[in-house]
Amino acid sequence: MRRVSTITVAGVTTAALAFTLTACGESSTDSGGSKDKGVGLAFDVGGRDDHSFNESAARGLDKAEKELKVGGKMMTAKNGETEAEREQRLSSLADAGYNPVIGVGFNYKNSIEKVAKDFPKTTFAVVDSIANGSNVASITFGEHEGSYLAGVAAALKSKTHKVGFIGGVQNALIQKFQAGFEQGVKDTDSKAEIRSEYLYTNNDKGFNDPAAAKDKAKGMLDSDIDVIYSAAGLSGNGSMEAVAGKKGAWSIGVDSDQYQQPGLEKYKSSILTSVVKNVDVAVFDLIKSVQDGKPFTGEHKYLLKDNGVSLATSGGFIDDIKPKIEEAKKNIVDGKITVKTSP
Amino acid sequence: MSLAKKFDKNKLILGLAAPLLAIVAAVAVTSVIIAITGKDPFHAYQVMVDYGSKSDSQVWIINKAVPYYLSALAVAIGFRMNLFNIGVDGQYRIAAFFAAVVGGAMTMPGFIQIPVIIITAMVVGAIWAGIAGLLKVTRGVNEVISTIMLNAIGGSIIGYFLQDGRLGKKEGNMVHTPVLPDSAHFFEIPTQPKPIYGFVVIAAIAGLAYWFVLNRTRFGFDLRTVGQSESAAAASGVNVKRMVITSMVLSGATAGLVGMPTLLGISYNYGTDFPVGIGFTGIAIALLGRNNPVGMALAALLWGFLERTGTQLEFEGYAQEIVGVVQGVIVLCVVIAYEIVRRYGLKTQQRKVGEELAAQARKSDKAEVSA
Amino acid sequence: MELAGITKRFPGVVANHDIHLTVRRGTVHALCGENGAGKSTLMKILYGMQKPDEGTITLDGEQVTLHTPGDAIARGIGMVHQHFMLADNLTVLENVVLGAEKLHGIGGKARAKIKEISDSYGLGVRPDAMVEDLGVADRQRVEILKVLYRGARTLILDEPTAVLVPQEVDALFDNLRELKAEGLTVIFISHKLGEVLSVADDITVIRRGTTVGSAVPSETTPKQLAELMVGSELPSPETRESTVTDTPMLTVEDLKMSAVDPDGVVRDVLGGISFTIRKGEVLGIAGVEGNGQAELVEAIMGMRPLDSGTVTLDGTDVSQAPTRKRREDGIGYIPEDRHRHGLLLEAPLWENRILGHVTEKPNSKGALLDPKAARADTERIVREYDVRTPGIEVTAASLSGGNQQKLIVGREMSHLPKLLIAAHPTRGVDVGAQAQIWDQIREARHEGLAVLLISADLDELIGLSDTLRVMFRGRLVADADPAAITPEELGSAMTGAASGHLEHVDEQEEEGGDDA
Repeated sequence: MRRVSTITVAGVTTAALAFTLTACGESSTDSGGSKDKGVGLAFDVGGRDDHSFNESAARGLDKAEKELKVGGKMMTAKNGETEAEREQRLSSLADAGYNPVIGVGFNYKNSIEKVAKDFPKTTFAVVDSIANGSNVASITFGEHEGSYLAGVAAALKSKTHKVGFIGGVQNALIQKFQAGFEQGVKDTDSKAEIRSEYLYTNNDKGFNDPAAAKDKAKGMLDSDIDVIYSAAGLSGNGSMEAVAGKKGAWSIGVDSDQYQQPGLEKYKSSILTSVVKNVDVAVFDLIKSVQDGKPFTGEHKYLLKDNGVSLATSGGFIDDIKPKIEEAKKNIVDGKITVKTSP
Repeated sequence: MSLAKKFDKNKLILGLAAPLLAIVAAVAVTSVIIAITGKDPFHAYQVMVDYGSKSDSQVWIINKAVPYYLSALAVAIGFRMNLFNIGVDGQYRIAAFFAAVVGGAMTMPGFIQIPVIIITAMVVGAIWAGIAGLLKVTRGVNEVISTIMLNAIGGSIIGYFLQDGRLGKKEGNMVHTPVLPDSAHFFEIPTQPKPIYGFVVIAAIAGLAYWFVLNRTRFGFDLRTVGQSESAAAASGVNVKRMVITSMVLSGATAGLVGMPTLLGISYNYGTDFPVGIGFTGIAIALLGRNNPVGMALAALLWGFLERTGTQLEFEGYAQEIVGVVQGVIVLCVVIAYEIVRRYGLKTQQRKVGEELAAQARKSDKAEVSA
Repeated sequence: MELAGITKRFPGVVANHDIHLTVRRGTVHALCGENGAGKSTLMKILYGMQKPDEGTITLDGEQVTLHTPGDAIARGIGMVHQHFMLADNLTVLENVVLGAEKLHGIGGKARAKIKEISDSYGLGVRPDAMVEDLGVADRQRVEILKVLYRGARTLILDEPTAVLVPQEVDALFDNLRELKAEGLTVIFISHKLGEVLSVADDITVIRRGTTVGSAVPSETTPKQLAELMVGSELPSPETRESTVTDTPMLTVEDLKMSAVDPDGVVRDVLGGISFTIRKGEVLGIAGVEGNGQAELVEAIMGMRPLDSGTVTLDGTDVSQAPTRKRREDGIGYIPEDRHRHGLLLEAPLWENRILGHVTEKPNSKGALLDPKAARADTERIVREYDVRTPGIEVTAASLSGGNQQKLIVGREMSHLPKLLIAAHPTRGVDVGAQAQIWDQIREARHEGLAVLLISADLDELIGLSDTLRVMFRGRLVADADPAAITPEELGSAMTGAASGHLEHVDEQEEEGGDDA
């Protein structure tokens, strides 16, 4: 029996599924209306419940729903997505009538630039990147400044004078965290040792791989490091888990106030502080601007001085070193200290 | 001979049975899963069909299917040889990366520039896969292990070079290789509303070449022989070791093409956002398409269709993961259905042969008795 | 024990239908028939490994159903398989008690029991010897002891003599007579007529899956029995007039090859083999399997690298040539294990016709295959070599062993080889195909073909060969004239007991000459 022909027949039938659909010429965007449905929020990998970056953005939308009475739709990216998928997600949202459409994460930069052209009446925004377009707002944060403060706290709290940094993916954004943190540590304790490591060099999976972060953190703890700062999205949960397993060690969270998060409750006693990136504030501001009929466009920076980033105090673990942190913060706001954006 | 006709009829029935069985089973299992999540499965199918049949969806699906198809071809070359090239993923990425570097460093007319880029990619992919082949024949390293390792090594090499100041350029949060000049843009087939990437033509040629080389050449026969029985191949005069290397090299060269539709048609550079994981998708598609060039093309389109419509499902409130589940269920159903039908077919065939011979024997016995 | 109307249907192979067999207690009952006649299937049914589709089994007047070998053992039926099932790295004692620890424990009691069985049946088994150190005949005795230890009163021996040389066969038969004398029943499966007649009390003959008759040894001649088995006149492998010429076709000189065995010890598998085969000559190599025959074939085929030595084919040194070149230059190959080396089981017949000759006409033109011509030529082979198949698109796996072999022979002969390497060419082949294959070898030899024949069937070797060599532990230790040698004399050399030129002696002794 010749298998080839069997397969051909098989294929043809399978094709029915794909090809019966290839009949007409109507485009999906043709039929879409442009009723105002509210906010379209497209997440980065990790999804809404990453206890970190995405969640912070979602809080912004939640607040807007409550205060501004707007609806919204949230969609999540998968690991290893391609440009085509991101474009599709954004244009689906815009096409369905959502306005503004927000891409949470720098990965959306190119797709937003492309899709924004097709929907000139919709406001688009990208978080953590700078995208061009007359109807595109770019929201960036002073992560390096917040991380500097985390560095100060880490240096003061470390008993071994060894601190660690775990980045999810070695890209420019996360290097900003690293640079600020390292500078903060060095400026506070010039003898402290800093070990900075990344989970992946250029795979976005780094924001969605808690197991890898856990291993990395374990390795650091084994070499006497007792404060670990993770800037790795959902992966950070893994490193917090590892740190919680060692007495006297601290972890520093990122993006949201991770001490407060129910999902991380088990580890909260070892979460020293978090570098909060107030994505929620930015998202809310943006939604409000659209509601007010004066939509944001161009670059919007949320620095330390704008309260775009801050150091969380929940748990009270850094209350004793508060004056030092306040001092550092003042120096940055006043421009006495310039924090580097790359290591 | 009436028996031969019967075989043909059986063949047709069996040929239809496998895909039907697979589709019915996949739809049934998927419906149950969707129903368990508390949603209406039939509405989901309606959404998928509606949305997938839009013209822009069709274009999207075809564009998406092209790299999948090339990846499946690369995997299938290994499969036909009984080699499990898990490293297509690493091979296409490292190939695309160096092709992007070479392409970004020169400016030539398109008819030189594009072939140079494509050939660079194929050569790099071939070398990367060839390492696994070489390790297998010289040190006996299982190709599954070595290709997985090479994926990781390839990823790290890219990570090393793709940094500002090395071979990469920083742009915002992303780092990418220098952008290819306009002359390196591959042609597009103007369709409405979005164009189809011209690389679909290369994919079709690659599929044709795959079929021709495997089924119509001596080399292809040798390759299939090794895949079916290494010992028989060695006895028949095939140099099995050389064949292992050659097929890995071919598989790698084909893998080198996987990144080209993206590089020459979409991104024009290799950046941190370059798609990953197509090599693994290729394994699923090669399984689904039974290593058959037409089957894999249809499987790649089906995959594209599911991905296109999956996002729409999420829009309609279905869980995004449903599509992943459906894809898995389909592959499993197809593999199982084909195996069941193949075994059944083989059994029937053997019984037929046995029956016929027994009938002949009885006849001759009777003849002897009466004589 | 009585079997009535047993029928078993199977895909692809000859089924058992309507088998009737009655075995008296305390006798040796031989079950004979050609390879593939259905003997082994029948025994598997009796041992509970397979269930009959129809028919009944009655033991001591009680009708039974045997679901598993466990049921059979419980009813006192034991089986000694053709391929031994012993763990090499354990002692005899350990092998015997393995899985039967409940009977007599694993210590002194078990040892005493083994000793007792061994002595009472004259098996001469040493409980503490390692199985890996034992020869084939000793291992067989361990298998028998294993079965007796489990309390068997009826023993089934599946082709027990296939692996033994004639002297060992005699010893086995003595053991069987002892067992009989103690009141045990032995069912003895064989297709070797002489053996059957010498040991059995009753004989049942199976042909094409059914019982065709029974015979009493004292009243039956081998010829009658053979005709009952075959259903027609018995073919003979004998070649008539010599066709040997003076032109050497294959010369091998001082072939050496070593291999590392599983224990890491380097062993010579070929220790300096030299011989010449001339045009029109059949050189037969006798030897117990595993003495380097397979390696010799692979060395000549170029499938395994040599340590030293040269292979010259028709005046050209091909020692360094790859396998494909050697085949193109005219070596035809009928492999010992056709499933591993001769066929693509899942591929259609016409692709199997291409196998091994893909570079030659009519299979290809230049670098391209020529499926049309290959298919047409396959049709021709199927016709001319009487391959019984419904068509050339069926897979090789669905053919019976004999028809697979005919296809291989047809394929190899179609390329007019200068040298044919035939390793066990009629093993597992039914009698009709056997005769055909012999005829084809003879015919080709007549036309000047040189043949290297390796076989375990001594009758086949003596019948077909012009020259005989005996291979033992990687060396050619003896040679003989096939016209004047008996299987017994050859068998003696195969165990290493005799070397040099073997002369036929009319008395019962064999004698080793000085030199070849």
